[in-house]
Amino acid sequence: MNSGIVENLINELSRLPGIGRKTAQRLSFFIIGMPKEDAVSIANAIIAIKENARFCRNCFNITEDETCSICLASRDKSKICVVEEPSNLIVIERTGIYKGLYHVLLGALSPIDGITPERLKINELVQRVKNGGVSEVIIATNPNTKGETTAQYISQILKPLGIKITRIAYGLPIGGDIEFADEVTLSKSLEGRKEM
Amino acid sequence: MLTKTESIVLKTRKYSEADLIVTCLTPDKGIISAFAKSPRKTRSRFGSSLEPLTHAKISLWGKEQSMPKITQSDIINSFHELRDNFHDFINMSKLSEILIALMPEAAPNKKIFSFFLSILALIKSSEEEPKDALFIIAQARLLAITGYAPRLKGCGKCGRKSQNFYPDSGAILCSKCASSQYVRLNEAPLKIADRTLGFYTHSIEWPIVTSRRLKPHKDTLTELSAVIDMHLKYLLNKKLHSSSFLAGTERE
Ligand SMILES: [Zn+2]
Ligand SMILES: [Zn+2]
Repeated sequence: MNSGIVENLINELSRLPGIGRKTAQRLSFFIIGMPKEDAVSIANAIIAIKENARFCRNCFNITEDETCSICLASRDKSKICVVEEPSNLIVIERTGIYKGLYHVLLGALSPIDGITPERLKINELVQRVKNGGVSEVIIATNPNTKGETTAQYISQILKPLGIKITRIAYGLPIGGDIEFADEVTLSKSLEGRKEM
Repeated sequence: MLTKTESIVLKTRKYSEADLIVTCLTPDKGIISAFAKSPRKTRSRFGSSLEPLTHAKISLWGKEQSMPKITQSDIINSFHELRDNFHDFINMSKLSEILIALMPEAAPNKKIFSFFLSILALIKSSEEEPKDALFIIAQARLLAITGYAPRLKGCGKCGRKSQNFYPDSGAILCSKCASSQYVRLNEAPLKIADRTLGFYTHSIEWPIVTSRRLKPHKDTLTELSAVIDMHLKYLLNKKLHSSSFLAGTERE
């Protein structure tokens, strides 16, 4: 049996996604064995992010300032790539291919869970497009039902604004065999095929 | 213990980093919640087989009393056409939500399973647009099949003819029964048009294919839909999420 403070740390750590009790226990004992400065620096980093992180007022990416570094950088301001979460933005940034701006919805539509358009940053997106200067909106919500429902809704309400609306392609995972792809993935990849 | 069953996915909820908790309808276990490891990873072996409305053959692993784990899922019919159509998907979500709300967990009911499956197939094959009539008939029948249909065929107490629907009684009442001291009513009744009552009765008594041929007027559908929503609100003590969603997105 662990003492109160150890038990407490284990409980707190196991609240994090992907961390089960066993992992939390391992991390806790690792922290106990750590130099004090290292442990304090982890704790401070957590406090700093909670005290200083906020959403960019333009695109809802996470930032320390009013406007995020991507919105401030010299990028192609005529393109907006719409994603569900800030973590999706980070992955797309890592590809280095995309040079436009982003818009983070902070979720995806789900009728059965009551996640309606008002609960996401959709109105803010419409406003950005209405403000002008945007020629293309790329919808990069997740390739699942919630992401697809969101994509359809957004394209429906942006259509009257006369801009180009695109959806990232559905494809087969690279490195895999066609044989193992399910019928939906395969049929969507066929629909979205490219001329060579 | 490993069990195999057919299933229709009703809803999914993210769990942990890449896992899902899947609520599904099965013929031999009723509505169950099961855990699936990593389906959200793009290379998951589950592929799209755990997306809502998918009809699949699944393998479940687990002890009784604890949440089972889905170890395998093979698509029988993906019904992805229903997810690709915004309007159809919201309406199907509403049917799923009604089912989850009214059907007790782990209560096997083969009739409900085949009903739900037949609705999916019917919506998929229908070329009508929008499919409002079909969805409202499906809602009425789902209420009837689960035993929660509002009683709209004459006064619910004495059978006398009346058009006044009292949501808190879940029934139409005649003026005599409504004023009786044994019925306590909190709200004014909703007067329902005769043709709406006729269409409702037909919808729950005849096969769907027959009812859809009736080509109900738009007002009839709007009225019946409002009655069903009001009835559900009383039954469940809350408004359905999908009803609010429909109301919010339909306006635009
Ligand atoms: Zn920004
Ligand atoms: Zn009566």
